[in-house]
Amino acid sequence: MYDKIFPPKKLVLPNGKLVFEKRSRTPFIFALILIAIYLSIKFTGFGFGVLITRWKEFFYIIQEMIPPDWSHMSTIWQPLIDTIKMSLLGSILGSLGAIPVAFLASSNVIKNRLIVFATKFFLSILRTVPTLVTALIATFIFGLGTFAGTVAIFLFTLSYVGKLLYEQIENVEMGSFEAMESLGMNRLYAFRYAIFPEVLPNYLSTSLFCFEGNVRYAAILGYVGAGGIGLLLNEGLGWRDYAGVGMILLILILTVFIIERVSEYFRKRLI
Amino acid sequence: MIEFINVDKVYPNKVKALHNINLKINQGEFVAIIGLSGAGKSTLIRCINVMHEISSGELIVDGVKVHALKGRDIRSFRKRIGMIFQSFNLVTRTTALHNVLVSFVPELSFWRKLTGIFSKEHKIKALTALEQVGILDKAYVRVDQLSGGQQQRVALARTLAQNPDIILADEPIASLDPVTARQVMDDFKRINRDFRIPIILNIHHVEIALEYAQRIVGVREGQIVFDGKAEEVTEEVLDYIYKGQVVTGDRRIIQGEKVHV
Repeated sequence: MYDKIFPPKKLVLPNGKLVFEKRSRTPFIFALILIAIYLSIKFTGFGFGVLITRWKEFFYIIQEMIPPDWSHMSTIWQPLIDTIKMSLLGSILGSLGAIPVAFLASSNVIKNRLIVFATKFFLSILRTVPTLVTALIATFIFGLGTFAGTVAIFLFTLSYVGKLLYEQIENVEMGSFEAMESLGMNRLYAFRYAIFPEVLPNYLSTSLFCFEGNVRYAAILGYVGAGGIGLLLNEGLGWRDYAGVGMILLILILTVFIIERVSEYFRKRLI
Repeated sequence: MIEFINVDKVYPNKVKALHNINLKINQGEFVAIIGLSGAGKSTLIRCINVMHEISSGELIVDGVKVHALKGRDIRSFRKRIGMIFQSFNLVTRTTALHNVLVSFVPELSFWRKLTGIFSKEHKIKALTALEQVGILDKAYVRVDQLSGGQQQRVALARTLAQNPDIILADEPIASLDPVTARQVMDDFKRINRDFRIPIILNIHHVEIALEYAQRIVGVREGQIVFDGKAEEVTEEVLDYIYKGQVVTGDRRIIQGEKVHV
């Protein structure tokens, strides 16, 4: 269709042969993207005017945060440790749980199409529900506190690591799996010995990466009462105690930074 | 002994891979199956260890009616048959030793299967297998650091550790350079001679096939069109196997019909 509207370019070689070069699709796609940007600006009511008149307010809040209220330190530690505990436990359990789920969702290992479809569907539902909503529901079931937060993080990790893991499993070279079957293993053990070792480094790396993200997620779970440092943040912002919020953010940034560096170091060594 | 009796194989997509195969392979034989790509060589070999199930006919291996096996019986039957692949099919991220050790997995207890912790006896057996193919010094090297020839030897050691009654090989030297290819073929020949294990291999290199194998089976379009000793394979026979016609007009070989020379 495209080629009919924009006929291919004709190139003539020295020996008289003709080569037709199809016109590039890039300008067309570029135009589509521009239209999409224009439409989304119209629909969301995005105004550059507001951006220009109000951006100073942002720096006002930042200024209020400096210097941070150091006296807050002592009250921050416990929720901070809770936050880290929540994300660590949730990430470990979620990553472990992701293994059997990803196994069941891999179409190259499981022959039953129904199981594969159902597991993939389950994972995609889990991914669609925002973690904050999961945490809120968890507080209704398990009560306020870190346990609900841990459950929310567990479910998010399960869906995230599960999805990436089954994609890796489906992309593995199946030769060694075939060899394991020819040795007399069933599909579960062939998976254990042929595919698992191949995806293991990537799986560990994905899990660590997810843990990094989970520390940040866990920090806001307190908003819905699921424990951790988010509760303090919510309070501080509510009281417009920007100096206190600044202290929390400073410590949070440091913690997240340290965890990311450590995790990045290990992830680089894994691959 | 392996015996095909009127075996047909039709794939689910209606492709007829094997047609009326009758073939008998005795203990200790070294058989090379030759023919064009897509002629059905791989299917023929994979039927023997039920990686493919035959559609009709009978397949009897050492008195076992293979075509009637199901589930668990197929798996325990496969333990007795070694298989070598064109692309080696090793787990590249683990050591050579670990790749050999997997051949013991089917006989391990549940916990050992799950954890992958092998006993000392199994390790000694696996190391012995690596010694038999001459790469004991590479036992603790990761497979992706080994050359193609060395990888195929690890695969061979994995098969030997299985202590198989039969060895099947699907294009074992197709991804190797000519020198390593010969070394691997020498390994096959030695194993065939020393352990009296029958070896059945698919191969594209006709000269190597004629040099190493005692018996040649020619396959074209899912049928056996030649079955005889390696010495009996002439230029005409090869033409017949690969092109389906005779260049010099030999009376015995008529296009499209099965011939025993």
